[in-house]
Amino acid sequence: MSAPQIPNLLGLRGGPRSRGSRGRGRGRGGGSELVTPSQQRKDLDIQSTDTDAAVSRLSAVSLGYLDDPFASYFVTGPGTRRLPIINRGTYTRTTALDILINAFLAPHDASHPESQSPPQPKQIISLGAGTDTRYFRLRAQNRHQNLIYHEFDFPSVSTGKLRLVSSNETLANQDPAANLFVQPNKASAETPESEWGFTRTAADGRSEVLYCCHPLDLRRLPYTPSLKSLGDIHGLRDDVPTLIISECCLCYLDVDNAQDVIKWFVDRIPSLGIILYEPIGVDDPFGQMMVANLAARNITMPTVKVYKRLGDQKQRISDLGFKKTSADGGQEAEAVDRIWENWITPQEKERVDDLEGLDEVEEWQMLARHYAVVWGWKGSSGWENWKTFQQK
Amino acid sequence: MSDLDRAIAQLRACRPIPEAQVRELCHKARELLIEEGNVVTVKAPVTICGDIHGQFHDLMELFRVGGDVPDTNYLFMGDFVDRGFYSLESFLLLLCLKVRYPDRMTLIRGNHESRQITTVYGFYDECLRKYGSANVWRYCCEVFDYLALGAIVLGASTALEPSKQNVPASAASTQDDVDSDIEIEVLSHDGSIIQKFPRGKARGLIGQNNSAAKRSSSPAAKTGPPGTGASGWSRGSTGSSSGAVLCVHGGLSPLIDGVDKIRLLDRKQEVPHEGAMCDLLWSDPDEIDGWGLSPRGAGFLFGADIVKVFNHANDLSMIARAHQLVMEGFKEMFDNSIVTVWSAPNYCYRCGNVAAILELGEDGMGESAHARSNGDVNRSDGGIMKENERVLLAGPARRYRVFQAAPQDSRGMPAKKPVADYFL
Ligand SMILES: C[S@@+](CC[C@H](N)C(=O)[O-])C[C@H]1O[C@@H](n2cnc3c(N)ncnc32)[C@H](O)[C@@H]1O
Repeated sequence: MSAPQIPNLLGLRGGPRSRGSRGRGRGRGGGSELVTPSQQRKDLDIQSTDTDAAVSRLSAVSLGYLDDPFASYFVTGPGTRRLPIINRGTYTRTTALDILINAFLAPHDASHPESQSPPQPKQIISLGAGTDTRYFRLRAQNRHQNLIYHEFDFPSVSTGKLRLVSSNETLANQDPAANLFVQPNKASAETPESEWGFTRTAADGRSEVLYCCHPLDLRRLPYTPSLKSLGDIHGLRDDVPTLIISECCLCYLDVDNAQDVIKWFVDRIPSLGIILYEPIGVDDPFGQMMVANLAARNITMPTVKVYKRLGDQKQRISDLGFKKTSADGGQEAEAVDRIWENWITPQEKERVDDLEGLDEVEEWQMLARHYAVVWGWKGSSGWENWKTFQQK
Repeated sequence: MSDLDRAIAQLRACRPIPEAQVRELCHKARELLIEEGNVVTVKAPVTICGDIHGQFHDLMELFRVGGDVPDTNYLFMGDFVDRGFYSLESFLLLLCLKVRYPDRMTLIRGNHESRQITTVYGFYDECLRKYGSANVWRYCCEVFDYLALGAIVLGASTALEPSKQNVPASAASTQDDVDSDIEIEVLSHDGSIIQKFPRGKARGLIGQNNSAAKRSSSPAAKTGPPGTGASGWSRGSTGSSSGAVLCVHGGLSPLIDGVDKIRLLDRKQEVPHEGAMCDLLWSDPDEIDGWGLSPRGAGFLFGADIVKVFNHANDLSMIARAHQLVMEGFKEMFDNSIVTVWSAPNYCYRCGNVAAILELGEDGMGESAHARSNGDVNRSDGGIMKENERVLLAGPARRYRVFQAAPQDSRGMPAKKPVADYFL
């Protein structure tokens, strides 16, 4: 990896709000000025998980599980065929998020056709988005018009994505009204990497952000003085219903740090929803082996040790304000095996089953039981479809 | 040292043998297997093993725990290949041993011993990677087509012999009480006793919680086996010889009501997508009545009633099968009328399970009563005593040896970290 790709890790240092004893992770608030080589290596190993995700996505797409014309752009070489259980898992995870995100983006009241009142703009914030293609998929379906889409990832990952997008005709120019921008990073002055995305010229002549990638080590977000207000992050709005997605991202952060990242948004955006996708259930032999195997890759998932079951995950986001007790909030969680059983229609299941066949039924169930989708919402508007979302 | 012994030595070191030698080996194996019937008759003592799935180092661990060939007779119930990183070495070693010691090794076919499945689950790719061409895969697939579909174990004793394996001093004292009363004994890899169940008390035993055998803390160990009893069937009293044990990879088929029907199949072909041969390799027992659709998309689910009727009609005391991952290495179901044996510890380097093998001792009635044959033996041979209608034949005494994955350092993992896939 070339030098500029090594992320700036100064953010690992303790922030001004350094807070005593609640088991802060090493590296922050530990008083050490320098980031150790082992921490740097660890960050690189965490960043490499994006390649896993991208390769898995391409495998599922190539075999017909998912339809995503953009998946191949983010994988170098022909890709690797994953095992059927992994492909089914990638399919189920992506489809589960699609279902929740589509419900969020859909106008809630069919009796008020969109033509009569201008549709409500919405915002998505994808944490640790990596080379996720979701924005491009939404854009290809022309569902990006009333949407502001943010992505956060390490500077090296974000910059790599910029390189790919800017050099790819389809990705860069698919929407003729959108202009690619690259500008110095406002969010972290220490970081030389640029933030980038797409803007368009609104009816009143002003430029508005459609999509913005923020090169930022999220661990710093809650503790960096220059990131105090929403306006410190380019294009971020607090006046529209906003959905945070963490698809296997916050699980790599220390538990308190992850909570503080979510809280940063909770404290600043009134109408907020969240979707977490991460492993659970490490207290059985499969889970223990998962922890050991990932540790062999130098990957630790602190949250999995604390939020072991669906109930723990629900409590976690309830504690952040996505509460069932309040009239305008709620939270749900479901394991991926149940999502496959209950959210996917029988016809679709049959189609997917026919793609490769799946011999490893017990293994699938065990694997899928160890991943959860957790979602919650708070705020008076924007969550109508989620409130009525029936888990079949 | 013969070429074959050299090949065995090389494979034991987990080094592939040259393509030409594979070809010759496969040719010899086919000549041998073609003489076997669809259902091989095997005489106890025998050690029954479940799925291996290319986990070569764990296969070596299995031989360490169960005893080496030819000192121990083995019956492997298929799924030698796919998933693990050493399908080639594992299968070729087993095949060499089969050719070298034909009467001491029995290999039957699993659903992964198929062209179609191996192209999806790894064996094909592995052959291509290790030889640069698909020739070796092709030779192996030709052998697959000749593998028997099942085996019948005759002459298994209803009483446990004291364990021959290295019994630690601590366990020795418990070893010598009256073992003839013990129906099931569970031993850890070092031979120490984890659990014992006297005859008649083991009913409803569903897998063991081999906490002592596990690497680390495990959920609270279950207490003794609950006698869920309450079936209309009773067990024959303890005799010196048990009913026969049918071994198949998957299970039963709605098209097969007797072992003799299996003998009539034309097996020398790729595993079909449906039909009796497919079912034998793909079906699973399940807590249902009668037959059900399988979530695997091939084979069927079958309930306790099916197993009991089948066993009764065929003078069987038990069915042993593999095919399904069980975290405890083995799992007896349906009043001990069927057992799943799983022999791939930490399956796919990911599942965290232990593995097991099943030892059946000999009843001491001598060779003559049931000489090993190649499948044309009348099934009423072999000292089976059917006492009266609706009495299940006495089950053989069963010794399960439970073991874990071979330690990491023994397996010389390939350099590019073959870590299992997760969703990241
Ligand atoms: C497993 S990938 C998932 C990518 C994408 N969300 C998906 O599901 O396809 C995890 C991503 O989270 C990012 N990530 C992990 N920790 C992060 C942090 N502290 N700040 C920013 N990004 C982080 C990694 O760089 C990586 O791109």
